[in-house]
Amino acid sequence: MSLVKHYVRINQLVGSRSLTASGVRNYRVTIDGKTLVETAPADTLLTELYKTHVGDYSKFYKMDPLCRVGFMASELLLTAEDCRQKQWGESRGVVLFNATSSLADDRNYQATIDDSETAFPSPSLFVYTLPNVLTGEIAIRNHYYGETNFVVLPEFDSNTMSAIIEMTFCDKYLQSLVTGWVDCYDETNYNVLMFIVERDVTGHSTELSQEIKILTEK
Amino acid sequence: MVVKLADNIISPLGVTTKENYEAVKAGRTALCQHEGVPGIPIPFFASLIDESVLTVEGDYTKFERMCIQSVASAIQQCDIDVASERVLFIVSTTKANVSMLGRSGCDNDRVLPGVAARKIAEYFSNRQMPLVVSNACISGVCAQIEALRALELGLCDYAVVVGADVQSPFIVTGFQSLKAVSAEACRPFDRDRKGLNLGEAAATVVYGREATADNRWQMVCGAVRNDANHISGPSRTGEGSYLALRSVLQHIDASEVAFVSAHGTATLYNDEMESIAVERAGLIDTPVGSLKGYYGHTMGAAGVLETLLSMYAVDDHTVLGTRGFENLGVSHPISVCAENRVTNRNSFIKLISGFGGCNAAAAFRKGGAR
Amino acid sequence: MEELILKLKNEIIEVLNLEDIKPEDIDENAPLFGEGLALDSIDALELIVLMEKNYGIKIKDPNEGKDIFKSVAVMAEYISKNRTK
Repeated sequence: MSLVKHYVRINQLVGSRSLTASGVRNYRVTIDGKTLVETAPADTLLTELYKTHVGDYSKFYKMDPLCRVGFMASELLLTAEDCRQKQWGESRGVVLFNATSSLADDRNYQATIDDSETAFPSPSLFVYTLPNVLTGEIAIRNHYYGETNFVVLPEFDSNTMSAIIEMTFCDKYLQSLVTGWVDCYDETNYNVLMFIVERDVTGHSTELSQEIKILTEK
Repeated sequence: MVVKLADNIISPLGVTTKENYEAVKAGRTALCQHEGVPGIPIPFFASLIDESVLTVEGDYTKFERMCIQSVASAIQQCDIDVASERVLFIVSTTKANVSMLGRSGCDNDRVLPGVAARKIAEYFSNRQMPLVVSNACISGVCAQIEALRALELGLCDYAVVVGADVQSPFIVTGFQSLKAVSAEACRPFDRDRKGLNLGEAAATVVYGREATADNRWQMVCGAVRNDANHISGPSRTGEGSYLALRSVLQHIDASEVAFVSAHGTATLYNDEMESIAVERAGLIDTPVGSLKGYYGHTMGAAGVLETLLSMYAVDDHTVLGTRGFENLGVSHPISVCAENRVTNRNSFIKLISGFGGCNAAAAFRKGGAR
Repeated sequence: MEELILKLKNEIIEVLNLEDIKPEDIDENAPLFGEGLALDSIDALELIVLMEKNYGIKIKDPNEGKDIFKSVAVMAEYISKNRTK
């Protein structure tokens, strides 16, 4: 019996296929272990996924790199779950982790203020300079009113993630959680393992940590 | 139960919680006009820490030095071995060392908040994985909620929660571009409010698990809820803040609440939203206050700083006045007052909200019984 | 004016990341906010930046923007009267 109910993995291919001929990283997308995209270059992958699997949420184009990759992963994950019509209210939350915080957008915003004489700080870039805006985007899209939180760690650590996931279920309203690792260094360098866990994870964070570890090694 | 063992606040108003409380009670503010700051062409009103008060030496940034000094000051008050694997460090920050992000890009990995947090924990010889709660403006309350849970589940024996943020051209120009800042001292809940001021502070609270609270402060409960509405605009129905308050009020009775320490940033929409949430939660008669007129918005520190000052206020039978407030300018008649008021109640609720649509509420009670 | 309107439409599409929209999809007389393009408060702030950056027009109070950003035609009219670059 698995504690992870559904999962989406977006990660760079290893070995000879890790880069395209022009040096762009190549990615693979899997849902519940099944391959959705065998190989695709990082720079076009997310918009291609959006066009194929979403298409009607133009806010996607306004999102920063972290939100684009996290949002697309959540769309694929929730389509796999197949409960999109359900009214979740406060029973579902979103808690995500990474090591790079909002670095990708931080750099893009910084570029708009670098030369203070001619600077035009961009409000639309500034609002994305917080990683938890991603949890907000997922909550808005799916009408989740439960807990949303973003925890930055020095590095990927399944034990810490599992402990925090279990801690989140101390909230008695919470029945399930969209959670996982969404790291984004820049537009072409990201790494995602996003999954759903339910209340039965309580008391089993050690087992959950093992499951997460196995999924990232796949 | 989870009780507070020690605390500290470092701000322009003082380097201990007591100094800060006395300054606020006396009505002092650290907000003033700043002009000619490199990288910030437009003058701004803010509360900034003079680096001369920071005494930590070594290769540390202003953010790290603020955190280290605040934690060091707090743990001096309690007898715990912070190097122990049973001590969890939780850092609450929105932008940490973002000012290290210069033209040259990112050549120092301490721009990553987790790396900075590890540097802080390692100063105290703590080798456990530190957590950085980065949940926008509500981080300081979220971090305390994580501490409460970790202690209740027995995942640690002590939790050191430190909240801090340093103002920089990155943050100041960003808020200016959002047209969210006031060119003068902010006026929470006032009809003439024109926006927020930014501020710098570091605040630390150490929590532990005890069989009884005795005469100490107990963290009773906390809840985090999302508006599911907009990434930067507060909900027009106060949804998330209302739901968070409703959850908290299942563990604490409104009749024992001395006051709600609100977010009260003095932006048009935040304060209006909070008045709606407070009304919906049935707290319309409970005193409501904001401390932003003394410190501005201290971001990652706010949730911790405002919780600690609220504890000291209740200890002193006081509801702190809302500096800058004059005439109520929100649609629900919440009970805000510019002057300090007297209270004999022993509990309070901290309410806070932030970008990403997140909202948090937490309840604190002095002593074990009602 | 027609030239300015077309230029403005292209600039709006670019700064607001309206990937799916072409200049001819925007009716210059239709309201910019509230329908059609699904723009929000952050888009309005980004339009304020556009006005200053491209036309040298400073808008201090976002409320002023409400009148100026009524439609692309109104924006163009305002720009032609007030531009400093």
